[in-house]
Amino acid sequence: MTNLFTKSNILRLLAPLIVFGLLYLGWQWVALNLKSILPPFGNITAEFLDRPGFYFSNLWVTVQAALIGFAIGGISAIVLAILMVYFDFLRAAIIPVALLLNVTPIVAISPALIVAFGFNAIPHIIVAGLAAFFPMLINAMSGLRAVEKETLDVFNAMSANRTEIFFRLRLPGSLPYLFSGAKLSITAAMVGSVVSEFMGTSKGIGATIVMATTFLNLNQMWVAIFLSAVTSLVLIGVVSLVEKALIRW
Amino acid sequence: MQSSRIVLHKLSKTYKRGDSEVRALVDVNATFEEGEFITLFGPSGCGKTTLLRIIAGLESQSEGDISLFGNSPAQASRLKNIAWVPQSSALLPWLSIRNNVLLSEFVNKRADRIVGSTRKAEDPDEVLADLGLADFKAALPAQLSGGMRQRAAIARGFVQGAPLMLMDEPFSALDELTRDSIRLRLLDVWEKHRKTVVFVTHSAFEAVMLSDRVVVMTPRPGRIHSIVDINLPRPRTREVLESREFEEKVREVKHILREGWGQDE
Repeated sequence: MTNLFTKSNILRLLAPLIVFGLLYLGWQWVALNLKSILPPFGNITAEFLDRPGFYFSNLWVTVQAALIGFAIGGISAIVLAILMVYFDFLRAAIIPVALLLNVTPIVAISPALIVAFGFNAIPHIIVAGLAAFFPMLINAMSGLRAVEKETLDVFNAMSANRTEIFFRLRLPGSLPYLFSGAKLSITAAMVGSVVSEFMGTSKGIGATIVMATTFLNLNQMWVAIFLSAVTSLVLIGVVSLVEKALIRW
Repeated sequence: MQSSRIVLHKLSKTYKRGDSEVRALVDVNATFEEGEFITLFGPSGCGKTTLLRIIAGLESQSEGDISLFGNSPAQASRLKNIAWVPQSSALLPWLSIRNNVLLSEFVNKRADRIVGSTRKAEDPDEVLADLGLADFKAALPAQLSGGMRQRAAIARGFVQGAPLMLMDEPFSALDELTRDSIRLRLLDVWEKHRKTVVFVTHSAFEAVMLSDRVVVMTPRPGRIHSIVDINLPRPRTREVLESREFEEKVREVKHILREGWGQDE
């Protein structure tokens, strides 16, 4: 039986616990001495336990937009990356546009999308999709191009065609890159979804934060912030589990 | 027309870099018989890998003709009649060793329907056993040592069943002891299957140990200086490799290389 209580295991567990403990103490000190800045943890927990249904229903709205955006943005990025690997013209044409999209602040796009698509879920899905697109595009491109020349030689010496090289070599070889991209993209989609809900809607975690600001309700604000952070961690965990199941080498 | 020979006729290769030209190979002429073990031997930069890549159809020649048993390299490649063994094992990390050596069965399936293909796939289990990998068929490449991975790459070449195997310094990354044992394994398997092998090396010992003929190449520009017959008995047992005749042959090959290189400098 393997010993779980090795020095490195204890350190790995203890180190973050110490940091979290210090952060908690610091937080509580600020909460007790500067009440307008941070609420005590007890109040935040009580607020959440008081109306969990309210928070989970709003969280679900945000997560839905994030997941749909992640799926659309991620799949578009992978399809484009595949085309860009095979067509130099497309790569030259699309990279500047993708870079421009990446440096444009999402908050600046949101109002324009609300004007264009109205007060519904579409603007939030688009913002989440745009946020998810770039990290996936860059990782997918790197993965699909990261084929060893010597392995390619083995395939070419057998006259493997493009489809065979893609499905037998490029695609499976790019899986580790695609999963790295997915972890970045799903977090970005979640952030995009929350931020886009700062305007044009009364539902979602972003809207909950804005509502809490209006009524100076610090407890509500921090419940919403913690919920979105924990949800992002859970989503990354789910992607990691799928990665572990699929990549065994 | 089917022929039983590999013929290289007046091959040249020139690389263009901006306004300047680099002559990698000049006037290469040679004929290799079916079933021969040929080694291209020479120092770095003599064009031996370039020549091997041209034979494989991975690069094109600037001038001259090649016939691989009556086919051009492109035709031979389309028929899967060329097995390429690179410097690194180039195994696919997500496939088991058995599936890696069966790669030729998954790729270019249309070649197997073409009349005229002389390829006959070998039994992967038998080849893996011959190369000492019978117990590692289900393992992933990352679970094997460098030497075992290289043996798997050689197995992949033999299992493809191509009449021509091209090996580009496949042992260069291995330590001396591993290299020594893997060479003997290669010879055993080759004796059994008798493919035509063109093998690249910069080791005179390796060239003499493995070959029927050693093609000595010299650099600047790359050309064939001479072709040396290695008329040592087969199988090349330890006794043969420790004999005086073997040592003399190694010295002779080295001497020819120095002589050719000196003339060019």
